[in-house]
Amino acid sequence: MPRIEPVEPVSYDRQTDEWLAARCVEAADEEAFAEIVRRYRGPVYRLAVSVLGQAFVADAEDVAQDVLVRLHHALPSFRGNARFGTWVYRITLNQALNAKARARYRVPHVGDQALHAMRSPGVGPDERLRDEQRRQAILAGVSELPEVYQAALRLHYWLGTSVRDIADMLDVPENTVKSYLHRARRLLQGILTERGFDAR
Amino acid sequence: MHDDEMMDGLLRRAMASEAPALSPGFDAAVLRRARPRRLSRLGRIVMVTYSLAAATATAWLTRGLEPVVVGAGLTIGLSMLVVGSAYARQLVSRE
Repeated sequence: MPRIEPVEPVSYDRQTDEWLAARCVEAADEEAFAEIVRRYRGPVYRLAVSVLGQAFVADAEDVAQDVLVRLHHALPSFRGNARFGTWVYRITLNQALNAKARARYRVPHVGDQALHAMRSPGVGPDERLRDEQRRQAILAGVSELPEVYQAALRLHYWLGTSVRDIADMLDVPENTVKSYLHRARRLLQGILTERGFDAR
Repeated sequence: MHDDEMMDGLLRRAMASEAPALSPGFDAAVLRRARPRRLSRLGRIVMVTYSLAAATATAWLTRGLEPVVVGAGLTIGLSMLVVGSAYARQLVSRE
């Protein structure tokens, strides 16, 4: 971890993550940690949402909080071998996967809000029902894919995250993310066809 | 390629619901939980009083024992204290 130089006044938003981490550890600087929280709350939350999925989205904020609190306690052990962001996302992935494993013991709650979020103006009730059934089949199919494909699909299609940012979060090259998305779509098409939904 | 584009369209439609967002109090909650917890003034007084009373009672109760036995007792007691407080800290940080 790089040593911090005594520079005053400190402008936190221009400092590197590593500098902020060192400042938290060496000077117990709460403002430096607040800047880390500001920088990472969004990506950490999105990554947690992408792992937990629509069924357990209500748990994502708790997971994001736990990750950042755990990060605060673990800052002294950050050695700078990996990028700070990579380290944060690794903690997030582990925490979210654990939370998902625990949440599976509860009844999944795909809320009414989610069911009504798909608006189909100008179509009849039969068609709307068919659309909704297909949508539910797609969401169920996604949740059967390998975890990393699920996360990539939800980040890309639901949360509108760019391929570059997904690559950052999952710590893989951009081409690997594209390949995840392609393979996930192919697997999903197979699942839908198997269940009698016309995926064409 | 055509199938892939079609699945792409299906996924876009199926996942077109509003993305969830963090609550406004998120940062404050994280900072509150991350801040080290300190005992209140009353808590400190209670802890100091208890420690003094315990030390006095221990000295009184072990006054006739061999120094080796007292030493062994202190070693075991202090080890348990260290392990117990580390465990308690871990529980607090998980909370």
